[in-house]
Amino acid sequence: MKHVIIGASAAGITAAKTIREIDAKAEIVMISTDAWVHSRCMLHKYLSYERDEMGLSFISEDFFDQYNIQWKKETKVTRIDAVGQKVELGDESNVAYDRLLIATGAASVIPPVGEFRTAGNVFGLRNLSDAQQIRSMAEKAQRILIVGSGLVGMDAAYAFLENGKEVTVAEMADRILPLQLDEKAGKAYQRLFEQAGCRFMLGKKATGTVSDASGNISKVILDDNTEIECDLVIVAAGVRPEVSCTEGSGIKADRFIEVDETMQTNYPYVYAAGDVTGISGIWPNAMKQGQVAAQNMCDIPTVYDDRYAMKNTMNFYGLLTLSLGRGVIEENDKVLISEDSKNYRRAILRNGKLDSILLQGTIDYSGIYQYLIKNEIDLEGKQEGIFNLSFKDFYGVKENGEYQFQIENAAFA
Amino acid sequence: MKRIVIDAKKCDGCKNCTVACMQAHRADEGTVYDLDLTDVANESRNRILVDSDGTYKPIFCRHCEQPECAMSCMSGALQKDPLSGLVLYQEEKCGSCFMCVMNCPYGVLKPDTKTRSKVIKCDFCQDAGGEPSCVKACPREAIYVEEGLG
Repeated sequence: MKHVIIGASAAGITAAKTIREIDAKAEIVMISTDAWVHSRCMLHKYLSYERDEMGLSFISEDFFDQYNIQWKKETKVTRIDAVGQKVELGDESNVAYDRLLIATGAASVIPPVGEFRTAGNVFGLRNLSDAQQIRSMAEKAQRILIVGSGLVGMDAAYAFLENGKEVTVAEMADRILPLQLDEKAGKAYQRLFEQAGCRFMLGKKATGTVSDASGNISKVILDDNTEIECDLVIVAAGVRPEVSCTEGSGIKADRFIEVDETMQTNYPYVYAAGDVTGISGIWPNAMKQGQVAAQNMCDIPTVYDDRYAMKNTMNFYGLLTLSLGRGVIEENDKVLISEDSKNYRRAILRNGKLDSILLQGTIDYSGIYQYLIKNEIDLEGKQEGIFNLSFKDFYGVKENGEYQFQIENAAFA
Repeated sequence: MKRIVIDAKKCDGCKNCTVACMQAHRADEGTVYDLDLTDVANESRNRILVDSDGTYKPIFCRHCEQPECAMSCMSGALQKDPLSGLVLYQEEKCGSCFMCVMNCPYGVLKPDTKTRSKVIKCDFCQDAGGEPSCVKACPREAIYVEEGLG
């Protein structure tokens, strides 16, 4: 059996490893535009010179040898022939497959503001190749504008502040990290960033740009006519699934590749996993999708059912936060808040179940909350002590010694 | 596959396992007699919690067959070793994102209290003889190592 995997990030690597664990003899070919296998969650550590290219790797040095995988790096798949079961590469050569996995991830969205899409000093931060270009340009850039204050934007801001740059973050919402944090939790980070020299322009949108003679943006204009002088612009305004390789293939992909619960596309033998499926955009889910796809590619029927994706952790300046759920308060919700000098905690309960939780400060042993949310566990009688819950309150042990949740005499996996 | 099996009914909450874990993972040299229990640098990988009915609930890493922690690790620091079955942690690779803390359904993991840059995780005492110190210290045999578990 010959497996071809496009993409070498969380989903692709996990799939390759899983296939090898199942089938010692399978032929596995990975094709990636990336020159280095790297963790996209750590690109800011490259920008800040904390790690080099090798340091961003999330696999062992001898991974491809160890798992006997052929890796075609810096190679683009230009076309998929889903009927003839082969992929075409940039040099017009073909690679045939018995099973194909598309794990091409996502690409930065650069909104059509002024010269954002054409200027030489505007970058998304998604791939190591982006980070390499940014870092090299940042050597001569002092004033850096970051558009968007999500996790990618704040990671970039952190890295540049560490390097002593003048950093401005522009955000459309009235607070930073608006999807992950409420106002109070966001303020705590805002203060820390401001203490490090960061300037925030909140509730403001970039509407135009002024370029210099060399085609670089020298000023970005916001919707209140504020002008921000800058040498480098990082656009952290979201991503879109990278579906370009499916063009003309008949593989169903509009904004993302559509998959069934086994991660199969509308074509037999063609699977997709990770950000490209549009199911979720976070690392743990991409790994799991890669694993599930691989099992099905090896004819072990498996269903992807761990779909909960509204989960994040963050760690800036030693302040930790766990954020689960949408964090939006609806009518009749019960909101519990607990604060002390080191912690801010907020839980939103809906119909006796946990909907969202935000823990800022200590996040010790907080893993149980995701389980409680995604399995919609009834917390009747346990609500007031929500922040003190631990696994002892659901303690169960399986025959093989692993734990399982024990809930009112019902045992869950 | 090895696992520390827990017989919670036998646990009488003496916390010898917790002290043994702290001793095995302390940064400085010394015997258990000079172990500083108040130094957060010596924090334990296991916990014994008292339930509302007065019984004890030992919380120990299960080195799960399908380890949710490793399945959330974006740096590759947490990996399940296919031979031993242990879920091992390479501190120097860790990106300190703590998605593992978020993803362990049993709430076993925490960031280290002192630096908040690494995860506090059972290593089966790899650097302290390879036999779990907690098991050796349990006077009730409430925890014991069993081989061949899935």
